[in-house]
Amino acid sequence: MELDKARRYFQKECNGWWLISMVGAGVILLPILYVFLSLFQSPNENWIHIRQYLLQTYTVNTIILVTVTGLLTAFIGVLLAWLIASYDFPFKRFFRFTLIFPLAIPPYIAAYTYRNMLSYTGVVQSTLRNQLDIHINSELLTLTSVSGSIFIFTFFLYPYVYLITLAFLEKQSAAYIENARMLGQKPVPIFFKIILPLSRPAIIGGVVLVVYEVLSDYGVTSYFGVHTFTTAIFQTWFGMYDVDSAMRLASWLMIMIVGLVFIERLLRKRRRYHLPRQSRSIVPVRLKGGKAVAASLVCGTIVSIGFFIPVIQLLAWAGMTFHTIWDSQFFELLYQTVYIAVIATAIILVFSTIIANVTRSPSTFSYILSKIVTAGYSIPGAIIAIGVLALFILLDGWLAPVYEWMELGEAPLILSLSLVMLVVGYVIRYMAMGYNAMEVGFEKVGNRYTESSRMLGHGKTTTFFKVELPLLKGALLSGFLLTFIEIFKELPLALLLRPFNFETLATKTYQYANDERIYEAAIPSLIIIAVSVLSVIVVQLLDRRVKE
Amino acid sequence: MNIVDIQELSFSFSRNDEPIIDRFSLSIKKGEVVGILGPSGSGKSTLLRLIAGLEMPSSGSITIAGRRVVDDRMFIQPEDRGVGMVFQDYALFPHMTVKDNIMFGLSGLPRDKRKSDLEEMLELVQMQDYKKRYPHELSGGQQQRVALARALAPRPNVLLMDEPFSNLDTDLKDEIRHDLREILQKADMTSILVTHDQKDVAAICTKQMMVPVTSRSM
Repeated sequence: MELDKARRYFQKECNGWWLISMVGAGVILLPILYVFLSLFQSPNENWIHIRQYLLQTYTVNTIILVTVTGLLTAFIGVLLAWLIASYDFPFKRFFRFTLIFPLAIPPYIAAYTYRNMLSYTGVVQSTLRNQLDIHINSELLTLTSVSGSIFIFTFFLYPYVYLITLAFLEKQSAAYIENARMLGQKPVPIFFKIILPLSRPAIIGGVVLVVYEVLSDYGVTSYFGVHTFTTAIFQTWFGMYDVDSAMRLASWLMIMIVGLVFIERLLRKRRRYHLPRQSRSIVPVRLKGGKAVAASLVCGTIVSIGFFIPVIQLLAWAGMTFHTIWDSQFFELLYQTVYIAVIATAIILVFSTIIANVTRSPSTFSYILSKIVTAGYSIPGAIIAIGVLALFILLDGWLAPVYEWMELGEAPLILSLSLVMLVVGYVIRYMAMGYNAMEVGFEKVGNRYTESSRMLGHGKTTTFFKVELPLLKGALLSGFLLTFIEIFKELPLALLLRPFNFETLATKTYQYANDERIYEAAIPSLIIIAVSVLSVIVVQLLDRRVKE
Repeated sequence: MNIVDIQELSFSFSRNDEPIIDRFSLSIKKGEVVGILGPSGSGKSTLLRLIAGLEMPSSGSITIAGRRVVDDRMFIQPEDRGVGMVFQDYALFPHMTVKDNIMFGLSGLPRDKRKSDLEEMLELVQMQDYKKRYPHELSGGQQQRVALARALAPRPNVLLMDEPFSNLDTDLKDEIRHDLREILQKADMTSILVTHDQKDVAAICTKQMMVPVTSRSM
């Protein structure tokens, strides 16, 4: 009886769509599981050395970075969200939007920009010296390892907290804040007694995103010479060519992340408030005089540090190097970056459309499938990279007889030296972006057109091409844009998985910066920033359209 | 011969829920127009979706025009059942004209036959002048006619209608009920109509039943 029912279920659900979804899920899951499996293998000598002398440093540094950055971004993000949501002051609308912009500057670009601006020969110290004749201890301004990383992370990642908290405060908190005002509370107590506790779920949500970014960062920490799990994974591979130990480090990092998810759930658990359904937007209070100036100054300072100052500095550097950088070689680089990003994005969108179509009908199976598909986004690039790398080396080993038969030489590395590896890495990491866009797209289209089409005698596939695809154009376009931009500026995966001599804009920028050719790095950096600003604007526009 | 034969049909949304349809049986003869009356949440829309193949029953069987379409061991996909459906909100494809909407279900036929079927359907619902329009350029009543023509065009064995009047203005309803009865009679269409309004059933149907009907309450 049960067996008959299971067979009937497969008769209904099993088809090409389903099979392709399973393949997609497999591609995503395999490298991640492979990394985990390395925990159960017997460790080699390198690992014993790492564990004895280095693991403690990695752990301590990682925890310090995550904790301090988390606290600081929470503070700045909430402060700004509160100012913007509940007050009116000069230039508020301008700040409301531009305060998101620091997200458009990849932290590694910010890191080398600030490091060089503040160095002895940089614009800050030389101006102080030459124009104002002020001599200060140059140590004071130099950005060094841990504190430098924290500074960069804080000012370039706080928008995650700001955005989520702002959305929460603007939409949901009016009733509480107005009530507190009616009860005669002053703004500061309201902030600490009402706003902070109420927005806790939103703040935690934002901070968790910040923490993910910090954990997966390679650019900033390696530039400042901080040893964290992620940099260690790279060093074990590039320095010692020891995949096993790199995987072991990756699996420990993964355990930390699982722990983090667990802590997040715990922190949020008893804090699910039933907010008033019919939430009005909060009516901001107009600030006057000194208070208004102070509010504008706070926002202005933060957005200057997080966006305008580094961009102006980069523009200045770009002007100095324009004639040497802007040549055919550079266009080749640009073309390569766009080329690989388009390929990866196209593959991602094909898979996500198919999978989103399969997961439309709610069931335990589709819930699990959607969780697997989006898993890559919460896993640091370095872990995915090392998993993919190890898997491809293994695959090349298995395929060695085939290669020999094809007369390609004895046990060559074909797949693991090709672009395929990098594309697979991108697909795993960014599948979530495409999938989310397509999921929203299908949700908006709804089921009724699909059902009508099937009642008129068309199968799932014809229905897709004739009815759903034309209606999904908008979702496809926004999914393509968002995914493309993420891949366009991606650094750690590209560094680890690119074939020899293949460069993207991001890896080239990173290399310039690492070789202390800071001025040359300015133009590629500005292109990356421009594209990212575009993505921020696209997201905001889409958000507005959804609201309407 | 019975066009639709439902035996002991049960359905619940999840394993642990109370069944929303419990051992329901129904037979419909050729040309009958059956009205199913009941309050919202009584499972009447679900019954249509089960017949259409858009949901899978937990037990029981459905036979349409002598062919078993679902039971405990098999399931025939909705597109292979020969069932037409008019949805509550009509669900006309917004990116297609009236003509393309109606022709959508005729794709297997030769070109001439499709053309003549289209004209026949347009005439049946009196919409000849609107073939080039898009759904959003039509009134509610016109949209309903197109939806009806689209569902009838492939000549289904049975036509299912889910609250076909709920989106129309009250003063239009009487006239449209009358038109619908004529169209169904002309097409000699076996139909099931689901509604919460006794007047709909009285105006159109040859037979009526109330839900929830469970074997327990009977």
